[in-house]
Amino acid sequence: MTRPVSRAAIIGALLKKELRAYARDKIYLFLTLLVLILIPVMFTFLPETVDEDLTLAVSPSISTLIEDAKDSLKAMGATDAQLAELDETDLAEQEEGLLLIEFGNAEQMQQVIDGTLEAWRTNDGEIVLRDKEAGEAKPENAQKLNIDIGIAFPQNFIADVAADKKDVTVTVYSDANIGEEIRGAVESFVREAAYQLAGKELPVTMADENSIILGEDRVGNQASLKDKLRPMVIFMVLLMETFSMASLISTEVLQRTVTAVLVTPVRVSDFLISKAVFGTVMCLGQGLFVLLVIGGLTADNWSLVLTVLLMGAMMFTGVALFVGASGKDFMGQLFYSMLLTVPLLIPSFSVLFPGTAAAWVQVLPTYPIIDTLVGAMTYGQTWADSLGSLAYAAAWLAVLFIAGLLQLRRKVQTL
Amino acid sequence: MTQPAIMVQGLRYSYGDLEAVKGISFDVQPGEILGFLGPNGAGKSTTIKMLTGQITPKGGSAQVLGIDVASDNPNLQAQIGVCFEEKNLYLNMSAKENLDFYASLFGIKNPETMEILRRVGLAERAKDRVSTFSKGMRQRMMISRSFINKPKVLFLDEPTDGLDPVTSAQIRQTIKEEAERGAAVLLTTHDMFEADELSDRIAFINQGEIVALDTAENLKLKYGKRSVKIRLRDGESVREEHIGIDDPDASARMAELAASPNLLTIHTEEATLENIFIELTGRGLE
Repeated sequence: MTRPVSRAAIIGALLKKELRAYARDKIYLFLTLLVLILIPVMFTFLPETVDEDLTLAVSPSISTLIEDAKDSLKAMGATDAQLAELDETDLAEQEEGLLLIEFGNAEQMQQVIDGTLEAWRTNDGEIVLRDKEAGEAKPENAQKLNIDIGIAFPQNFIADVAADKKDVTVTVYSDANIGEEIRGAVESFVREAAYQLAGKELPVTMADENSIILGEDRVGNQASLKDKLRPMVIFMVLLMETFSMASLISTEVLQRTVTAVLVTPVRVSDFLISKAVFGTVMCLGQGLFVLLVIGGLTADNWSLVLTVLLMGAMMFTGVALFVGASGKDFMGQLFYSMLLTVPLLIPSFSVLFPGTAAAWVQVLPTYPIIDTLVGAMTYGQTWADSLGSLAYAAAWLAVLFIAGLLQLRRKVQTL
Repeated sequence: MTQPAIMVQGLRYSYGDLEAVKGISFDVQPGEILGFLGPNGAGKSTTIKMLTGQITPKGGSAQVLGIDVASDNPNLQAQIGVCFEEKNLYLNMSAKENLDFYASLFGIKNPETMEILRRVGLAERAKDRVSTFSKGMRQRMMISRSFINKPKVLFLDEPTDGLDPVTSAQIRQTIKEEAERGAAVLLTTHDMFEADELSDRIAFINQGEIVALDTAENLKLKYGKRSVKIRLRDGESVREEHIGIDDPDASARMAELAASPNLLTIHTEEATLENIFIELTGRGLE
């Protein structure tokens, strides 16, 4: 009689076979090389700095605001010295990276922001407006300005502020596509400017409030594209590995090699453990490799990042187990892959486009993973800051991992 | 008499409302080859699945080497070899790697991989990936895989299905060798020639029931005609004469015809297994 074989030896043999099958498949190898080489190479070409220059429109011009206010201020007892000080106010100079474009009236400014009119600046610094729809010619020796945001001050703004009127309101116009980071920056700028003029904070309203800030407001703490993409790249590595793993499982199921394995001393649980361990190790290993190549681990965040990476690897392995066991053929597997992975991918885009993570996106299983990765790798988020996200991710991890294991078990037992 | 390697009593299985196996009973002794002969869908593969622990019987009992097949006891799988009808091999692995992998699942430290491959004529292709093998070579791989743990019981599901005569003959030879070694063999097939050549006993299975179980010889005697067909030249044509063996004057008549210069051929008219199956079930084996 053959000597009884230990479960550990069986699982070890299964893992060795998994590695061999993985290494022999050209598609898996291609995906792996794509992940391990191409993504880091592409990543190195991304810009490391962030362009924080802002073109800001104001209406009316600052000089008009000041001139309009002088008589009222004088009547209120302002001295000539104080009025002269007001003349020296230069908001643009005080804000680094700010290009201030002044409009005569709020309506014109609004039309430029919504795209009805074009604004051009000549080499002499003069602002020329062009109605393209009306067939007006492009101004010569001029550069087109991209103005997406502007501030409309009310008539007698300075005097009203100085008189301590209660209903003074500044309106910020912005294009619907403008990011929340920019809106927040402008809001801060207006508050600061108003405070400088009036010596107190003023109410600032946003004319277009159709976007929502989700998560922590990063105003004044923008990340470069490279920083933003780093967590997303890691996330993509996990996703790519999911396809490979799902394909590996699907092949085993469709070719019925699993049936042959299960008429040996191998139990279904051994098979499930080997698949789960192999998938998690491959996901984690590749994610870690890319992370080390592209950077992102620091002395402060390494434990948190690795923990989240492990959770992500297990979560995606659970998905791979489910997908691999669900498809009856290649097309079926592709269908389930798309069905499950596309929703899981959505949260990663919220990193590229802050402010786009709607409430339903936050519900998705991968949101806490990507949110914590971004927080830890880009904004110095700590364990304490991440506990809520980690708990939420752990709950989803349990659901997806168990669902994957149950689906694969059901499949192999009914072959 | 030794303890049967396989003991089955009233075994049942159903897929939903469809009763695939309806209370069958049989046993197989060590070193015996039992042919399970029946058409597609008769319940042969379902029976093998129950006996190898792939599915749990829904009625009756079955023991393989004294182990209840419903007990989920890995000692059962450690002592059996299974050759599936579908060729479920790891295509990206070589012949040797396939066998070494399965050997490792049985805890075999130094498997006789090359010796087994030599037996099935694949030793020279040991390092080639199975994906490059022909259908016949893959089938030989399937057979060799089922031998890897020197099983005490072999379950062979259509082992020569769709193969050329030369490959089929090679595979039958290895099956005989395993039985001579002492392995009990349960062989399912719908090939009456294979069943006749290999099996010590044959069970006819039809619609989930065993309709006959005996040696091929006894079945033929029981269900065949006891007569001889003699063909003679008769001028420009050929004449046939049937003589019943039990007829009182049979010997004299056969001697007379055998001495005739017009004698062409003499055939016994025993039934083929297919004839018997048709007689028992009213349907063919395909």
